[in-house]
Amino acid sequence: MPEPVIRVVDVTRDYPRPRTSLLKPAPTVHALRGVSLEVQAGERFGIVGESGCGKSTLLRIIAALDRATSGQVVVEGTDITRLPERRLKFLRENLQLVFQDPMSSLDPRMRVRDIIAEPLVVQGHPASGERVRELLDAVGLSPDAGDRYPHQFSGGQRQRISIARALAPRPRILIADEPVSALDVSVRAQVLNLISDLVDELNLTLVFVSHDLSIIKHVCDRVAVMNAGEIVETGPTGQVYATPTHPYTRRLVSAIPTLPRALAGATTSDLLRGAPE
Amino acid sequence: MSDVLSVQGLSVTVRDKTLVQDVDLTVGPGERVGLIGESGSGKSLTALSVIGLLPEDVHAAGSVRLAGVSHELIGADERRMSRVRGLQLAMVFQEPMTALNPTMRVGDQVAEAMLIHRTVPGRRSARLAATELLDRVGLAGAMKTYPHQLSGGQRQRIVVALALANDPALLICDEPTTALDVTVQAMILDLIMQGVAARESALLFITHDLAVVATICQRVLVMYGGRVVEAGPVGEVFTRPRHRYTQGLLAASDLESADARLPTIPGNVPAAGQFPSGCVFRTRCAHATELCAEVPPWEGTPAHGFACHHPAPAMEPTHA
Repeated sequence: MPEPVIRVVDVTRDYPRPRTSLLKPAPTVHALRGVSLEVQAGERFGIVGESGCGKSTLLRIIAALDRATSGQVVVEGTDITRLPERRLKFLRENLQLVFQDPMSSLDPRMRVRDIIAEPLVVQGHPASGERVRELLDAVGLSPDAGDRYPHQFSGGQRQRISIARALAPRPRILIADEPVSALDVSVRAQVLNLISDLVDELNLTLVFVSHDLSIIKHVCDRVAVMNAGEIVETGPTGQVYATPTHPYTRRLVSAIPTLPRALAGATTSDLLRGAPE
Repeated sequence: MSDVLSVQGLSVTVRDKTLVQDVDLTVGPGERVGLIGESGSGKSLTALSVIGLLPEDVHAAGSVRLAGVSHELIGADERRMSRVRGLQLAMVFQEPMTALNPTMRVGDQVAEAMLIHRTVPGRRSARLAATELLDRVGLAGAMKTYPHQLSGGQRQRIVVALALANDPALLICDEPTTALDVTVQAMILDLIMQGVAARESALLFITHDLAVVATICQRVLVMYGGRVVEAGPVGEVFTRPRHRYTQGLLAASDLESADARLPTIPGNVPAAGQFPSGCVFRTRCAHATELCAEVPPWEGTPAHGFACHHPAPAMEPTHA
């Protein structure tokens, strides 16, 4: 078995909370409680869970934007767990992120071409206009989009800009944190297709985080279900979706309203039930 | 039986821009009607015009009548509207953060809704009734808490209890579960369903989620660009859509049966007030012709019909 691109071994992350009493120690939040996972090269890996389950903390630790309290994170064979920032250059180039909110993740005072070129400039690469035009074209925006500012674009177009920026340093790993949650249905399909196409064309490894299992099922090959800081179930997406084994996954799957089930007469009390059917 | 809510020829304008145009909509007693559309389609403005909470420089024209209220709701002054609001007509908003008063205990807020409309004889009975309402939404112990002590889902349950406090004839829900997790969404939807069923209230449910509408509602109206483009029973509209927009929306949101690529609707939803003349969907429609520069007439009955010059064939299944 080849060395996985991302290997997370028994990672925990505790956050101290503000003290509530002078006499008691500050309470801690266990955001991650021993998470382990492996993502193979070229894989499309999904992480699903509800708000507060620790999925964003996990992403931040994989991207070395946050440090694990204990455990180990290995990306492309290098242990990044305790690596100082100045030695993370390889990670900053090879691993890029697309965030959920396209309104707040783009600098409103920068032109789009500067936003897209920024990762190149920061990493000391020459940022040519040619590369920016190429990226704009890759995400389906017109070349003159580079002269405009983020507020002149709709949510879906802004998410395309985010994707172009992420692809600028030619990463091998793309991490998407709820990239379509803020988008309208008709635009969501376009952005999902775009991510899918780019991952195929550029041979990327994709880590896709969402609270919506049906989107994960559409995009990813394998999925990890997170609940309360732990991974409760991992498996091929189709299998996890069709025959969930963990009670939490069962509850999650049955709570998703779907058109076919609704048209077959499913009611809201069916959504609440533990098992589908 | 006459309708609980009857909206005729509703238009909403801000300065020179028309945001909602010619919306006709009825909700019968105990009926559950869905209003679906993407951002900018005018669905929330329609709801806000009904309840009379439009922002200051936004104006509504047309007719909105509610059963049991003798006057027209559009243009009614604030004094008359505040007697209707919360009594015969209640609303659950999208953001439970901003819908509750942060400086008041939630129990008092629920009790206040009943005291203001004098549906209970006094403070003591209001508090008793509030306790019972909170118990009904599974938050029996929350009487003395403040909104910031509760999670988003718990807050939304309080808002639901608050909206149902006076047994309204019509409950309007504007994307009540959009900010919530799926398991919490399931719980809120079930509470809303039980609440309206127990009171025989009518429900107008606004969302962009087709599956939620299909689960909750009997009838659906599809809005795009400030117009109702298609209306009908949920089973009909979602299995045999006639308007090309409905058809595209259904295909784009069907993650179940799609293969690797999802069918998409090209382009973006135009900004408010920038929709094309004639058919509002023609700039994104694959079937558009010169004819579409004219506003398509409504085909069918007001309760079941569509407005499209080139409708999908009547018997075509959902996915072509």
